[in-house]
Amino acid sequence: MPDITVSTRPEPASPDVAGPLATELAAQVVDQTLPDVAPPELRQMRSYEIVAAAVAGVVSIYVGLAVLTSVTAEVRIALTVVGLLALFVAYRGLGRRLAGPEFRAGWWLAVAWLVLVVLSAVFADLLPFTEARNPSKTFSEPVLAPPDLLSRHPLGTDRQGLDILGGIAYGLRVSVTVGLGAVAIGMVVGGVIGTIAGYRRKAIDHVIELFTNSMLAFPPLVLLLGVAAVLERNTLNTTLALSVVAIPVYVRLARSTAIVVSQREFVTAARAIGAKDRHIIIRDIIPIVVRPVMAYGFVMIAALIVAEASLSFLGLGIPRPKPTLGNMISAGQSDFDRYPHLVFAPAIVLLITVLCLNQVGEYVQEKLSPKQAKI
Amino acid sequence: MLSVLLKKIWQVLPVLVLVSLGSFFLLELVPGDPAATVLGPGASPAEYAAVRDRLGLNEPVVERYTSWVGGVATGDLGQSIFPPNRDVTDLITQRLPVTIEIALLSMILTLLIAIPLAMRTAYRPNDGLDRIATTGAFAALATPPFLAGLLFVFFAVFNPGIVKVGLLAVGVVLAYYLGVNALRRVRRCPPGPARTKAIMFGIAGLLVPLVIFGLLARYLPSFPRQGYARITDEGLRKNLKSVALPVFTLTLTECAVSLRILRRDLIDTLGEDFILAARAKGMPAWRILLKDALRPSLFSLITIMSVTLGRLIGGSVIVETIFNLPGMGRLMVESITSKDYPVVQACVLIIGVIYVLSSAFVDVAYNYLDPRVRRA
Repeated sequence: MPDITVSTRPEPASPDVAGPLATELAAQVVDQTLPDVAPPELRQMRSYEIVAAAVAGVVSIYVGLAVLTSVTAEVRIALTVVGLLALFVAYRGLGRRLAGPEFRAGWWLAVAWLVLVVLSAVFADLLPFTEARNPSKTFSEPVLAPPDLLSRHPLGTDRQGLDILGGIAYGLRVSVTVGLGAVAIGMVVGGVIGTIAGYRRKAIDHVIELFTNSMLAFPPLVLLLGVAAVLERNTLNTTLALSVVAIPVYVRLARSTAIVVSQREFVTAARAIGAKDRHIIIRDIIPIVVRPVMAYGFVMIAALIVAEASLSFLGLGIPRPKPTLGNMISAGQSDFDRYPHLVFAPAIVLLITVLCLNQVGEYVQEKLSPKQAKI
Repeated sequence: MLSVLLKKIWQVLPVLVLVSLGSFFLLELVPGDPAATVLGPGASPAEYAAVRDRLGLNEPVVERYTSWVGGVATGDLGQSIFPPNRDVTDLITQRLPVTIEIALLSMILTLLIAIPLAMRTAYRPNDGLDRIATTGAFAALATPPFLAGLLFVFFAVFNPGIVKVGLLAVGVVLAYYLGVNALRRVRRCPPGPARTKAIMFGIAGLLVPLVIFGLLARYLPSFPRQGYARITDEGLRKNLKSVALPVFTLTLTECAVSLRILRRDLIDTLGEDFILAARAKGMPAWRILLKDALRPSLFSLITIMSVTLGRLIGGSVIVETIFNLPGMGRLMVESITSKDYPVVQACVLIIGVIYVLSSAFVDVAYNYLDPRVRRA
């Protein structure tokens, strides 16, 4: 039956051929459209092409950033972007030569960026940044210096002479601390509560579900604002407020998995031989619940980093002059038509970080829970 | 149907009670004495006593809660603690319509963009346009709303020239994929009326995007940087212009989410046998997509509608702050900054209640729409 093979093909036929004659032509139609859906061809780059792309990239970036200092910013930015693209092509070509055509170029870049983010957050104190946190120490620094990669202030300075690059590093420290901390709290607390609810069911499940529903009854940002309204503004309280947002999500996730797992034969068997509930939960259920809970981690960290940045942006997170990505952007927005770097430097870092977390997160979700649909 | 409704009400009631408790006890979470926090150092004892009285701190908690809930039930949300001590109910009824306008317009615009785009990309997955749209959606999902808002300000207000070029570029890309590619496929058509029709479609696909985006670029209005024009004061045109950028900001994320969900579901549906049957009968593509494939693919989108609404309300807090619109979100941020706790409590409560009720409504509507759920 050729029809069956046809119908299982996910790709539909071309829309333009469906006319009055199509009834007879149906089979041919599908065959004809097959070339349309062939995967994009992968041609190995030759060595000299890789070298040429790399050299072109470096030259283009160098010319854009260091040579053409008198040309308008648009041209320099365009040159830099072209250079980065060329470098990416060279890097992808090299990767495919070394690791085969399956090389996940974007994924490895995302991992590299995240490693860089964590390193700069951890070692921000040791890196040779000029003062980025204390405005009383920057009297001799230039104010509102434009970005210049080869100077003491690679990304420029703000209104108070604070270094933007240093501010980004310290801001990332806040983002990483708050994101990791809140997700860790959410995972442990929410995971345990959800597992117990899903395993025990009955009254305790109803109560927990009611509380979860009530917490999820507020839009996340509003819940966060409500908690932030009453707490003092510092890193610890921001982390706690974010974990309040994270916990109900993890309760739901853990509970739904635990319900399914609790009905499996090995749990029944464990009960039949007289194992205690605590033992079953720890030995049988949690090891399985951990997988979807972990899989959701990266995406959750990304969401919470955005939430923290939004809070700081609204002026309700960690206050200036302690830099966070959100309050740097907020401080720069008042006249960023004249000094766009004040907004764009931290904004681009935030954007890339979230993009990378999402990219890694989706991959991890695919690997850890292949059945779970992703949004 | 009635039993579903009653069951839903039974489920929603305790949540509403907890929501009200949560909003009320927000005040109890304030470390130390709320009245002292409100006033800060250097207040006279008389002022202190007045604020304590306004916050009702002299009465026991239970009594305070019951009188507050009683007030809420009769539409009295208390008064702002700062002069001129306005009624919170008045404040909110004044601010709420702005937020609702933004949220509704964003939702409509999202559906207008996401549904056709999802149909096109699902019909030809992995072609150039699909890859551009998927990558774009991925990037839009990573863009925090406040950043998207600032980007819109930067480009649409300060550098409209770049926007015009961008609009033209979008038009050219769409014309290429909708028109040029369709014309290329024409030779696969059997000669005759079918081929003529295909050529007509191709030319239309080429011209329509170019004309639409060309006109958009030509007549791009100048958007105000901030502020809100009331429809009663300054007319519809100015009103729409003043909410345009906030709405675009919210639409960006929502579009990305809706596009991804609907595209995946449509691809699944298009692989089903009844679609092949329709195609074999000779149904044209638009008819298959619109009449056969769209309806069974819409359910995930409807399910996440309540989540979408939550994101829109959260996002409206941000866009109202960026664009200085007098909505609920900014009211909340302002009252948090000034520690006007009665207003904060009322805002949290109202938003929570609206959100709970609308999610319940979506659930019931879902029951009504999907026969599989209805019978189960």
